[in-house]
Amino acid sequence: MEKMHLPSDFLPIFIQLGLALGFIITTMLVTHSIGPKRNSKLKDEAFECGIPAEGDARTPISVKYFLIAILFVLFDVEVIFMYPWAVNFKSLGWAGFVEMLLFMGLLLAGFYYVIRKGVLKWE
Amino acid sequence: MLPIVLLSVFGIVVLFLGFSKSKNILLPATLLFLLVTLIANFVDWNHQYLYFNDMLWGNNASMVFSGIVLLSAFFVVALTRGFEQEGEAAQPAEYYGIMLFSLVGAIMMISYENLIILFVGVEILSVSIYILTGSDKRNLRSNEAALKYFLMGAFATGIMLFGMALMYGATGSFVISDISEIIGTRAWNEQSQLLYAGLLMLLVGLLFKVSAAPFHFWTPDVYDGAPTIFTAYMSTIVKTAGFAALYRLLAGSLASLQDYWFATLATITVLTLLAGNVTAVYQTSFKRMLAYSSISHAGYLLIALTSLTAKSQSSILFYSLAYSLSTVSAFGVLILVSQQQASNNYDAFNGLAKKNPFLAFVLAVSMLSLAGIPLTAGFMGKLFVFTDAAQKGTIWLLVVAILASAIGIYYYFRVLIAAYFKEGDLATIRIAPFYKVVLIIVTTLTIVLGLFPDLVLQLV
Repeated sequence: MEKMHLPSDFLPIFIQLGLALGFIITTMLVTHSIGPKRNSKLKDEAFECGIPAEGDARTPISVKYFLIAILFVLFDVEVIFMYPWAVNFKSLGWAGFVEMLLFMGLLLAGFYYVIRKGVLKWE
Repeated sequence: MLPIVLLSVFGIVVLFLGFSKSKNILLPATLLFLLVTLIANFVDWNHQYLYFNDMLWGNNASMVFSGIVLLSAFFVVALTRGFEQEGEAAQPAEYYGIMLFSLVGAIMMISYENLIILFVGVEILSVSIYILTGSDKRNLRSNEAALKYFLMGAFATGIMLFGMALMYGATGSFVISDISEIIGTRAWNEQSQLLYAGLLMLLVGLLFKVSAAPFHFWTPDVYDGAPTIFTAYMSTIVKTAGFAALYRLLAGSLASLQDYWFATLATITVLTLLAGNVTAVYQTSFKRMLAYSSISHAGYLLIALTSLTAKSQSSILFYSLAYSLSTVSAFGVLILVSQQQASNNYDAFNGLAKKNPFLAFVLAVSMLSLAGIPLTAGFMGKLFVFTDAAQKGTIWLLVVAILASAIGIYYYFRVLIAAYFKEGDLATIRIAPFYKVVLIIVTTLTIVLGLFPDLVLQLV
């Protein structure tokens, strides 16, 4: 191993961590001690605005939502791959271009499959 | 590398073939694809290769291991009969596609050079198997099996990944030949403690996948709950790929530390042999018995791994092939019988030999091979494995193994007694011609390999 990391190299991270934690603790303590306290039934509810909460959170939800969510993640990740590729486009040359074409081809094949399967149909 | 690329492309092609009106094309197409891959697998014969930035490694042995996996996949796919019996909810194209994708993972596990590839391979294989386990969507048992397998498998993978990270911390490399080199420069008591912790966790993860005791508790429920055809699939392919991966890890990078991990693995071997064989005796369901039998065979394979002599690789290879062949035919018979009788129990086989002598014979050869009776491939496999242990000089391990196989004879013969000597009202079972051909080939191979084991052994 050529590169050694000393514990002191992590000092900035610990300072950052301390600052973040300190800010939260301080604000919580300060607001609790100097803020006025007015309790009422409405104020103690989980949500103060919008329609009143109803029923249990553990109800069956249509599988379509999950499929959409998974597809969203898929295309999100695809973009993550495309950014570094676009930045290094010139140095990667034709090989990089072909590889990205292959990747996009596979992804679009999957997308076409999803559409043909009717995953995006909501009726 | 060629089989990995081919299987990925073929998997996508099969998915799209599913959109065609006629579902009958799926089975022949998948079989053709598997055959093409099987041939392409041996293109690099007699060459050593490194692919993908030196992350994949291969030689004749890894090609033969991949060949075994592809061959068993071919047989299992041939026994699916297009999933026509599964009804409306079945998605045959998806099942075939996932099976092809899972083989990509299996081949990566067999021919990895970099631990990252091992991880990716394990994940590809496992996730595919989770889906296939739960493919009987309306069946509660199948759902339970899939969820159990998924949750426990995810934990095992997590532990394995943690082990890899620790090994990287200890050696500074994921490449197993580099790890071997770095370990070789130090004596066993000068090694970093991280290495030992990492090795242990990596072993836990991999041993979970091959269902070695004490990591075997998921096996009976998952094997029992999954559709029988996929039970056959996972008990052959995951086992072969898992042991190839374990061998590659232990022989390729950690052979110099054998004194250290020998005690651990030997203990696990004994536990696996006992847990598998003793519990199998108490089963009333044939399918569940096969699950415990798969645990006990993991134990026999572990003997070869623990001994790690020069011949270990060929013993593991031959044993996995013999085990895969007999398992495929056992499940092949079970599928037919359980469809007729709507039960997986031993009783379902009562009087099988009277009207179905062919099926009874296939079952007999397969059970004899699993029990390790001479003239079958299973006997030769056990012989090689036991020879390894004798060479290493671990006689006590050998004694446990021989006692375990003596117990094995009892429960393997129970189904044969039911089939040949008990009265039953089993009608003649109609066997599709292609199904019959597969059963004939598998049974013939089991006997031929039992008589001429050199046919496979001289390959490596």
